[in-house]
Parts: sequence; C-alpha cells; structure tokens
Amino acid sequence: MDTAVPNPAVVVSGVRKVFNRGATNQVDALIDIDFTVQRGEFVSLIGPSGCGKSTLLRLIADLIEPTDGTLVVNGKPAHQARLDQDYGIASQHSGLFDWRTVERNIELPLELKGWDKSRRRARSAEMLALVKLSEFATHMPWQLSGGMQQRVAIARALAAHAELLLMDEPFGALDEMTREHMQAELLRICSETGTTVVFVTHSIPEAVYLADRVVVMSPRPGRITAMVDVGLGRDRSELTREATEFFDRVTEVREALRGTHVGDPIMGVDDR
Amino acid sequence: MTIIAARTRDSLAIVLPPVIFGVVFVALWQAWVEIEDVQPYVIPKPTAILQSLFDDPNLVTKACVVTGVNALVGLILGSILGFVGSVLTNRFRLVADLVNPLAVTVAAVPAVVIVGVLNNMYALDSQIGRRLMVSIAVFFIVFVQVTKGLRHNNPTQMELMQSYAASPRQVLAKVRVPNTMPFLFTAIRTAAPIAVIIALVSEYFGGTQDGLGTKISGSLNGSNKALGFAYVVGGSIVGLLFFAGSSLLEYLVVPWQRRRRPG
Repeated sequence: MDTAVPNPAVVVSGVRKVFNRGATNQVDALIDIDFTVQRGEFVSLIGPSGCGKSTLLRLIADLIEPTDGTLVVNGKPAHQARLDQDYGIASQHSGLFDWRTVERNIELPLELKGWDKSRRRARSAEMLALVKLSEFATHMPWQLSGGMQQRVAIARALAAHAELLLMDEPFGALDEMTREHMQAELLRICSETGTTVVFVTHSIPEAVYLADRVVVMSPRPGRITAMVDVGLGRDRSELTREATEFFDRVTEVREALRGTHVGDPIMGVDDR
Repeated sequence: MTIIAARTRDSLAIVLPPVIFGVVFVALWQAWVEIEDVQPYVIPKPTAILQSLFDDPNLVTKACVVTGVNALVGLILGSILGFVGSVLTNRFRLVADLVNPLAVTVAAVPAVVIVGVLNNMYALDSQIGRRLMVSIAVFFIVFVQVTKGLRHNNPTQMELMQSYAASPRQVLAKVRVPNTMPFLFTAIRTAAPIAVIIALVSEYFGGTQDGLGTKISGSLNGSNKALGFAYVVGGSIVGLLFFAGSSLLEYLVVPWQRRRRPG
C-alpha cells in the first residue's frame, strides 16, 4: 500500500553538517535544515556564497554524509536512492567525457546500470530529441558550445529515468543570452517530463523565473531563513521576465536575503 | 578561396623560417669548407655527404632499417609494458606508493650501460639485447606519465561516477584509464626520438656491426668522414620519422588534445 501514498521527492529533517569536526579549522556549514520538496515541484536554493547551498545539494545526492539529521529521497534513505540512481545530477562544469561521443556520454549511466546496447541507443536518441541536439549525436563534446554541452549534461542526468534532478549552478558559466535560453529550455523539459528539480543558484532572477518555491538561506552557518512561494504558474515565457508579479517576487527574495544580515551589503548574490 | 589562401600563408609562415635557416646553415658550411680549404678528414663538404648518400643508397638505408626496427620494437614493447605496469600497480595503493618514486628515480639514470649485460644474455648476432634496452628506457617514461594521468582526475567526473554508484573497477575502466590516453600519447611522442638514440648508442656496446651506431663510429674513425656523416643524416631522418609518426598517432587517438595539453 505504501506505493499508493504519494510520498515527497525529498524530505530533509534536522540536518546539520560540520566539516573538520574537532579540528582547529572546524566549519559549521549547515544547521537546523528542514524542508520538503514535493513531487513535480521546482525548488530553487539561494543564498550568499559559502552559505552551504551546494553542500545541501551534495547531502541530498549522498555524495557526503550529514553530521546529524536524516535525508529521505524518493521515499528511501538518500544512500539507497543514490545506489538506485533515483536522481540525476548536473553542475556548472558539464563533466562530459572527451573520449566519448555525445550519445555515448548520455549512455554512460545506462551502461553502468547494465542496459543492453540497443536499449541505450534508443534512450539516448530520445534524450537528444528532448534537448534538441539530435543532429549532434555522433559529435565529440569538445566540438559543441558551452550551452550545448550543458544540454547534453541535462540529457545525461535524465537518461536513467530519474524523476529528480539536482542542479548546482548549471548555467553559471554561460553568457546571459545563452543562460536565459537554457532556463526556458529547462522549464520546457521539466514540464514535458514532470521532473522534480532542486536548483542551486546565486542569481535572484534565475531562482524566481525557474522555481515554484525559493528557499532562502543565510550566510554561514547556513540555515533556511525564508521560503518564497513564487506563484507565477507553470506557463512561463520571456514575457514572465517583464511581468510585475515577477519583479514583486524578485524584490521579496532580495528582501528575504537582506533580512538575514540587516544593513550589510549581500556578498556573492547576483542581482542580474 | 581566401580561407585556403590564408591557411597556405599560415602554414608557410610556420614552415618557411626553419627551412630557410637550414638552407642558409648548409650553404655557410659548404662555403666555409671551400674557402678555408678544410680537409675532408676533418669536416666533409655537404655536397660530399650527399654524394656518398646517393652513391650507394642501400648502404645507409640498410643501417637505418636495422636501427629503426630495433627502436620501433623497443618503443612498442616498452609502451605496452609501461602502460600495463602503471595501471596494475596503481590498482593497489601500497604497491603504487612503493613503485612510483622508484620509477621516477630510475627514469633519470643513464641506463644504456645495461645493454652490455643484456648482450651477454643472447647470441652474438642477436638484436634482442638492444631492443630490450630501448624497451627499458621507454618503459619508465611511459610508466611515469601514465601514473600521472591515473591520478589526474576531474572532480566533476569523479562525483558523477559516485552519483552513479559506480564500483572502483568501473571508475578505473570508464574514467581513469581513458583519462591517461593524453598522457600515454604525450609520453610516446617524448619517448620516440629517445628510442632511436638509445637503439643507436646501444650498438656501441658490442653485438652485430650492421646498425647506424656502429656504421657511424666505424666510418668516422676511418677515413671516410663523408660516409659517416651520411649515416648521421640517415639517423636524423629515422628520428624525425619517429617523431612525426608518434605526433600523428597522438593527433588521431586523442584529438581533444589539440585544445589542451597536460604538463
């Protein structure tokens, strides 16, 4: 009966992360982190540089372990979710493998899962169509532009039928034009696939444009200081970027960030 | 049209200066020998060298083939052993920690003298000792570079493999070993001309008298300096062929290296 109950995609409860515990260079990265991401929801994590938003993402991905607290991903412990490849991950560096063609890059997680070749090829073709790069299947990654490489990385992250996408500033290295285009593409891909996304960024407009909900974090030790419901609906276009509601939410997030450190200029948060 | 013209101009700009330098150098050499009336048993004229090169091209070609084959066999064998050896030792951390510093040290020793020992192990007319000598030298160059490659991991890629719950063996096969390819082929490119030199020098330590090394020393010690220099020219051509061949191989196998080169 458990499967019939719609469980949330991610449940983070009472999580604390301390690096170099007990040493002189001990760092309290995160404290008192509690939040839930519903299935199909798009959540942005925003906060100043060094607030631990990437650390939080890596905790959800079980790439590091929490000092205290529990993380439940896809209804199971984060560790099990990683072993089952329940999530896909993409970061600022696409991390594509130079010696593999674009399609073979996308097929790598499937190879590790033991899929046979024809099934892998069919899936990579499907994913390439999704990110609109079908004609580049047999190209090498270094022959593509930065934006195209990121699209391949997203295709790879979604290839193994992951319903959860963890993204750490995936468009951070792209120019503004490409970045806006990629944001629109990501929203289209998510609405086509129903993927849940946890998206780390330090750009306020990016966080608001993409997300259903923005989680605002304080400077180190990072804690959640505000949750802003964006409420712009799912049909977002270039017009959304010029809508009054959009600016209202941007202002709301900005003030939430400022509230974390009254009077201080916010370091490391991008107003673009 | 204009692109082709520009490309031609660009390659000319690269090729022309060294060619001009070479031609001028040879011309000055010729002029110096003629004007100063330098005796042919001291330094021969470039034209005399060419003369003896074409008098009996087979003579030089045969010696080039003997030394070239020795170098090639040693280069291939040493590269394979160096690569396999590095991957196997680095599979086990403790072994790697013991072997790696040793390899770096041994690679710096002028080990050509070992060929004397190797020669004694095989028949007098055998080339095996020389080939093994080349293999040993190449082995260490390749071993050290491939080891560097195995440890040169892209953090994003390693994290991805972790997120795929990949086993250490899968990480080795899918990421770490392919990551060594640029290092392997850089090492082969470095080792190729060295292989020729080692093959040539190995001939000074006994064995058959048919390679470039023995022919050069024989002719230079005798009266036929021009022929000795003709053999030197042959040796240079073999060395250049090895360098060109290994560069082409690198270009074909690791094309992304055209953009990035490891240290």
